[in-house]
Amino acid sequence: MQALSRSFSWDFSLQLKSLLSPYRAGNTTPSLSQLPMVQLTATPASALADEPVHIRVTGLRPLQMVTLMASLKDEKGNVFWSRAFYKANEVGELDLMQTPAFGGDYVGVHPMGLFWSLKPKKAFQRLLKKDVMNSPFWITLNLYDSVCFEDVITDQVMASQVVQRWFSGPGLQRVQIREGRVRGALFLPPGEGPFPGVIDLFGGRGGLVEFRASLLAARGFAVLALAYFAYEDLPSDLLEIDLEYFEEAANLLLAHPKVQTPGIGVISVSKGAEIGLAMACFLKQVVATIWINGTNAIFEFPLRYKDMVITPIPTFVERMQLDISGAMRLRHYKGDPWDELNQQSVLPIEKALGSILFIVGENDECMNSKEYAEQALHQLRSHGRNNGRMLLYPGAGHLIEPPYSPLCYASPNKNFSLPLLWGGDPAAHAAAQEHSWGEILKFFRQHLTQTRSKL
Amino acid sequence: MMIQLTATPTSALIDEPVHIRATGLPPFQIVVLQATLKDEMGNLFHSHAYYKANEVGEVDLERAPSLGGDYVGVHPMGLFWSLKPENILTKLLKRDVMSSPFLVQIKLYDSNLPLIHIPTTAPKVSLTLERWYTAPGTKRIQVREGHIRGTLFLPPGEGRFPGVIDLFAGVGGLIESRASLLASHGFATLALAYCDYEDLPSQPEKTDLEYFEEAVNFLLRHPKVLGPGVGIVSISKGAEIGLSMAIHLKQVTATVLINGPNFVIRIPQVYRGQISQPLPFSPQLLSINALGLAEFQHNFEEARNEANENFLLPIEKAQGHFLFIVGEDDKNLNSKAYAKQATEQLRRNGKNNWTLLSYPGAGHLLEAPYSPLCCASKISSLHLFIHWGGEVTPHAIAQEHSWKEIKKFLRKHLLPVVTSQL
Repeated sequence: MQALSRSFSWDFSLQLKSLLSPYRAGNTTPSLSQLPMVQLTATPASALADEPVHIRVTGLRPLQMVTLMASLKDEKGNVFWSRAFYKANEVGELDLMQTPAFGGDYVGVHPMGLFWSLKPKKAFQRLLKKDVMNSPFWITLNLYDSVCFEDVITDQVMASQVVQRWFSGPGLQRVQIREGRVRGALFLPPGEGPFPGVIDLFGGRGGLVEFRASLLAARGFAVLALAYFAYEDLPSDLLEIDLEYFEEAANLLLAHPKVQTPGIGVISVSKGAEIGLAMACFLKQVVATIWINGTNAIFEFPLRYKDMVITPIPTFVERMQLDISGAMRLRHYKGDPWDELNQQSVLPIEKALGSILFIVGENDECMNSKEYAEQALHQLRSHGRNNGRMLLYPGAGHLIEPPYSPLCYASPNKNFSLPLLWGGDPAAHAAAQEHSWGEILKFFRQHLTQTRSKL
Repeated sequence: MMIQLTATPTSALIDEPVHIRATGLPPFQIVVLQATLKDEMGNLFHSHAYYKANEVGEVDLERAPSLGGDYVGVHPMGLFWSLKPENILTKLLKRDVMSSPFLVQIKLYDSNLPLIHIPTTAPKVSLTLERWYTAPGTKRIQVREGHIRGTLFLPPGEGRFPGVIDLFAGVGGLIESRASLLASHGFATLALAYCDYEDLPSQPEKTDLEYFEEAVNFLLRHPKVLGPGVGIVSISKGAEIGLSMAIHLKQVTATVLINGPNFVIRIPQVYRGQISQPLPFSPQLLSINALGLAEFQHNFEEARNEANENFLLPIEKAQGHFLFIVGEDDKNLNSKAYAKQATEQLRRNGKNNWTLLSYPGAGHLLEAPYSPLCCASKISSLHLFIHWGGEVTPHAIAQEHSWKEIKKFLRKHLLPVVTSQL
């Protein structure tokens, strides 16, 4: 029985370890003069999570093969890790800004590859910082003297460095919001202000996700991370979108002494982007909207705003697909907003007064983001409007987040019995996150900052 | 009207298609069909597909498209080849190929039932199918002759049958499932073990082709085997050996090479004093995919680029015919590149004794039709999960097509001309 269970272990038996011996021959007995010379530096060692880190290694033997590994334990104790195999140059140095990885979790020159290719040891975990104010993520960088591709590393660490990744900066203030119906957390940059105001909306996981709001605040915006269900005394399930709740939040933000008037921005992803687009259409307070991988119509449950009710386009449970990993692909699940029977559910985007930036991951496995964005832009053009623009990222998936966030393959969602597949090719997704973040900051600075020049 | 589920035939070889139909449903109702299998170790496999009944309340899997689930589109055998284990790393493997079939249950449910409730809910209707690895009358003979270790499967009936040697990948054990199926289709097939089986060495330091020559001669000597040549069906590391056998042994007249290398891997080959060295392996070229699975298909690239032609197996010296079967999405070996190089070598030497079948979307482990895709395996001795590659639907299509081609190829080159079809 044991033999049968190993019958497909072709080529990767115990004998493989002996294949590695040529690579270890010179490495097993390092001379005393060799060891202290190896240095691993990561600069800056402590920084905001959206800042790049420059990793270098010196003091290696010329052309030495090494493994660089990153590991992190999140606040729930889940371990995430990544590794890449590098070859030192003729003077025994590695510079991740120049040196390509041969293999591992990524290939080629990727200075931040160890960060965005972090993977959970336990399948389907998503890396999300809960406490954004008081602690960073600590990422341990370890250097090993050979190509370590097994899950258990028996080699000794040659050099090690810990980097801190913070989601807030010095002087940033977090204010818990419980006013009227509004629930969330307001992040205020240091200083008198006033600062451009932004509402940050996440998607169907509910609760309150703060890390993007706090990072935006660290970049000079007054950001309200707004919860809308499954948080404190808000409804535990999302059964309808009451746009007056979001208007109340917008007005609350605008009323704050440190927030600029008369208009705010919205940054929104997934189900949150459906809401964000509705806010853009109906609330004049919203002058700049970022829509990430959302919809252009109302789905699943109705939207209400004062007397108006927009009924949803139905979803089709039979169109759910299962991925080889067992995760659920919902991409084809929703009804068609182009269908003439569904037109009353399509958001009247031509009514939006402000500017809209559509950020789309072409490999989104959760929804047909590209089609929704294209239909929305088509609708704008057909009404003679040009206040919408799309950034389309090939290879990027659903969860486009701030730079260097690891790609999450799939993760559980309380509304479904199986994890949801998000999609995305790791390297392309990472590039999309890096590029789109710059565009997000530029967009908000351009459309929200009135008194400063455009630089 | 009563809901009915029919499947024909209810008992068949695992490579035979089944026609599944449901009748008596409300018109246009959406239903979920589920298939369940429990292997000999108790591992559970499931698949699901959503279908819409037509205007007379019927679902015919030969015509109706699946709308979602584990596959989409018209795939009459989709429920079988999209079976997924509860643990992603489990491979479906039949140990006892003779005395018992796999039992596959097909169940029908309303589509509004959440998938998670299916295991605890009674289906509207269900049936059980038997999937066998041997046709009635097939004989299984343990082989322990000289150095040879393996199992010989003889087709039912009188007379002599073309002989085939079946070589699996691998380090260890003996897989009989393909050999027993080939025998059920009229080939006297020897499933040949070559390491870690009975008294064979558990970790051989070299591959001795004389062992395989002994097996060829054993097969040709057998009273039920029709000569003068034998065939080989081989995969992965087994295909390295199959290719070498074809090169050195003139009795090998038809060789099927599935996702194999055109060079020696890992341990040297010897044949009558001649040694062929393995191509060096570069561990640093390993890739880890988004799910954390290890992909080895680039690990020979550095050596291939730097190596001279001496490392390539001299395929032009083989006298028989070749059928190359390549899964283009193979994540374990760069099969497409190796087959291309081998066939180019044949062309350069003026040979046209080969056919190459290349399947987009198919992975490393190409097996009998309707076998579920095993996408990754854990290797117990290494702390590692190996990605074999392949996308479920294209891989299934490749298995179905290549199996027919394999049988056609073996018949063409092993049966006497007067009885083969033109």
